[in-house]
Amino acid sequence: MAEYVKLIDVSKCTGCRGCQLACKQWNAQPAKQTENHGTYQNPPDLQANTWTLIRFQEIEEKDGKLKWLFRKDGCMHCTDAACVKVCPSGALYVTDIGTVGLNRDLCIGCKECISACPFDIPRYDRKTDKVYKCDLCLSRIKADLIPACAKACPTGAITFGEKGKMIEKAYARAKELGGDASVYGDKFVGGTHVMYVLDEKPGVYEHLPKSPSVPLSVILWKDIMKPLSLLAAGGVIAGSFLHYIIHGPKLPDEETGQEQKGGE
Amino acid sequence: MRKGLIQATDSFERIVHWSLAVSCLILCLSGLGMMFHSLNFLGEPFGGLKSLKYIHNITALFFILALFFTVSMWWKEAGVFVFPEDLDWIKCAGGYLWHVDKVPEVGKYNPGQKMFFLVVAAGGVAMIFSGLIMLFPLHIPAMIVRLMYLIHAAGFVAIFAFFFIHLYLGTVGSPGSLPAMLTGWVSRPWLKKQHAKWLKEMEEHGTLVVYGEEKSSSHGHHG
Repeated sequence: MAEYVKLIDVSKCTGCRGCQLACKQWNAQPAKQTENHGTYQNPPDLQANTWTLIRFQEIEEKDGKLKWLFRKDGCMHCTDAACVKVCPSGALYVTDIGTVGLNRDLCIGCKECISACPFDIPRYDRKTDKVYKCDLCLSRIKADLIPACAKACPTGAITFGEKGKMIEKAYARAKELGGDASVYGDKFVGGTHVMYVLDEKPGVYEHLPKSPSVPLSVILWKDIMKPLSLLAAGGVIAGSFLHYIIHGPKLPDEETGQEQKGGE
Repeated sequence: MRKGLIQATDSFERIVHWSLAVSCLILCLSGLGMMFHSLNFLGEPFGGLKSLKYIHNITALFFILALFFTVSMWWKEAGVFVFPEDLDWIKCAGGYLWHVDKVPEVGKYNPGQKMFFLVVAAGGVAMIFSGLIMLFPLHIPAMIVRLMYLIHAAGFVAIFAFFFIHLYLGTVGSPGSLPAMLTGWVSRPWLKKQHAKWLKEMEEHGTLVVYGEEKSSSHGHHG
């Protein structure tokens, strides 16, 4: 199947959080009691039952004016997904449209994906002992619908479509915006299946890594240590066998004199 | 038990050894089940991979306890190298790898066993430390947690390989060794070959326990 991409044009976002609500509604996720902590960003962070969140951020522009940034945060659906690489049970998997699916029945709540994710997305729920994250509304896509957040977005900031076309569209929009505007997502971790058109430099946005990658420790662990453990053990078993047939076991010297008195 | 056999280990040593061995083996197997997708089926008899996770975590508690006793019981005998004889032994690899006319006599533990002990002790501590952080990772920077996974995997590489060396040298690779950890009684020729210095020490100190004889076989020398 063709790969699909969700494109988020932050320059069109008004921070209405319709996407947040639509996400909760489609995925039947309840809200938790929250507190006002001096920002419209609510809840304060992604949660086990909040898979997408508009991050509100105030920055000062060159002329001293205040600018309000809205960025819809959530799973980026990497092609080289570190979470899929570390998941021991296969609960996290690459779907045939290139996104990262999550089979919650298989999740064992080991939290390995939480430390591996370069975007800090998966969230653990103590009650169910499982991890949760956006699955890009796989159930809707399979039914020929677009993700709930894209459906709900009133300004057209969130769109969904075939990968090549969305990348084309993103670059056209970045060019149209000019200035610091750029496309975020196609250049790293094999290309993400959620992409941004950012109207500020990527480094300006909070909680958005400038150049995310599969962490080196994850690569060393999964691509080096894992095969090495079998190689080393296999080598030792083969070595022991060779030792036995070439050098032979270490035997006590022939019993002599008094030692034999107790014999069998 | 046969008359003339010599006691190499007491029952406490053997209980601690097998507690460590069994918990380590369960940890290795349950860990493998989570490490390789193709071994996920190891969780099936227990109701799935999640049970394997719990088995792994709970067994770790026994492992911690067993390792504590192992280290506190053996570090004086197996954790300290004695020079120069240990160095001489290492230089000729204890006669295990090529022909050596006269292998330096060693005490209760030879330098190879000492190295094994140190790998188990240091590796075990590293596994416990990294494992505990992996178990409670949510308030620790992700970079540190990722490093712990790497340490846990590296520790497994060492322990898994060493397990097979230990298995070989404890059985067919060195006949007569296994009883030291099963019944605790070994033959005098085996002890003379493997730990001659220890045999002499025990004879001198009158601590040699021979099956079927009075406590000390050296009462004649020391009176």
